[in-house]
Amino acid sequence: MGITHEVELPTEEQLTVQEINLSGPALKAGAFHLGKACEWENNEFILCRDELKDARCCLDEGKAVTSCALNFFRKIKKTCADEFMQYVHCLDKSSPDQQFTPCRNTQAVFDKCVKDNLGLDRPPYDYFARVHVHETERPRPEKEGPVLYPDATPGLPKDAPRPAAKYGSRYLWMW
Amino acid sequence: MTTKAEFKQDMPPPGGYKNIPYKRVPAKSFFGGWAIIGGYLGMTAGASYLYYLNCKAVKIRQLEMHSASLAIYPMLLAERDRAYLNQLRKNRDEETKLMANVEGWKTGTWYGEPIYHTVPKNTLIEPNYQEFYVHSSYNDFKYRAHLALLS
Repeated sequence: MGITHEVELPTEEQLTVQEINLSGPALKAGAFHLGKACEWENNEFILCRDELKDARCCLDEGKAVTSCALNFFRKIKKTCADEFMQYVHCLDKSSPDQQFTPCRNTQAVFDKCVKDNLGLDRPPYDYFARVHVHETERPRPEKEGPVLYPDATPGLPKDAPRPAAKYGSRYLWMW
Repeated sequence: MTTKAEFKQDMPPPGGYKNIPYKRVPAKSFFGGWAIIGGYLGMTAGASYLYYLNCKAVKIRQLEMHSASLAIYPMLLAERDRAYLNQLRKNRDEETKLMANVEGWKTGTWYGEPIYHTVPKNTLIEPNYQEFYVHSSYNDFKYRAHLALLS
């Protein structure tokens, strides 16, 4: 493997946080409210990942995302556990790929519960597929300029004489 | 004893034979040409409208699924990043342990020769699939590589 000891890799303690112990249907059921509740953290993390293109630089942002999601699901468990589990079961059992369409009734019940208890509205169906503006304090990463080689051929000066071509046209297809 | 059969000339029925029905009998037509063309255009227009409604509904459904996936993507990515980096470190330690007795071996290089000379030393060069699974059993690699075919 091409990873030497000079490459900094975070230790196990830095990487160990409590992960979200939920299965796919539960994540799908909570997806819209979760995305709305943790919008800032999610955007910050994805911005970091896209800007720096290195998983090692965005560990703190990633931990913030996970803890925010964990908090959200804890709140759901405290307030809307029954409605949530009903919705999860519906998503899980109604279609092979967890479609939302067959579960609008249970979804409405869950949405109402979340609205009443957490004050969170369900965002529109295409909310997370839209373009959003993200306000952040994160400094813009430096742009890498073109590489300058010290021994590069200097090239002709701008005002170098350009005499007429001795042996025919210097342009193809333009004689 | 025989009686002489009375001769009788076959004659046409009175009033003459009926005409031979050689004339074409066209099927009864309910619609004229223009009506058929108009009906075709009308039905196509109606069907197109229904098709449009259906397309819109399908599009919305797909967009909703996509949107939900995007909403949980950061969380999944964060978790995956941690697991991935953890495994990379384990792989590196495993390689160091495995090649400890080989003289001149430097972890992450081929006897001291790195993959790239011009990148900074701290650059994380992500391993490919086979490299990532090199210290695990082939069955684990096979399972993960062909996971998409199992579902």
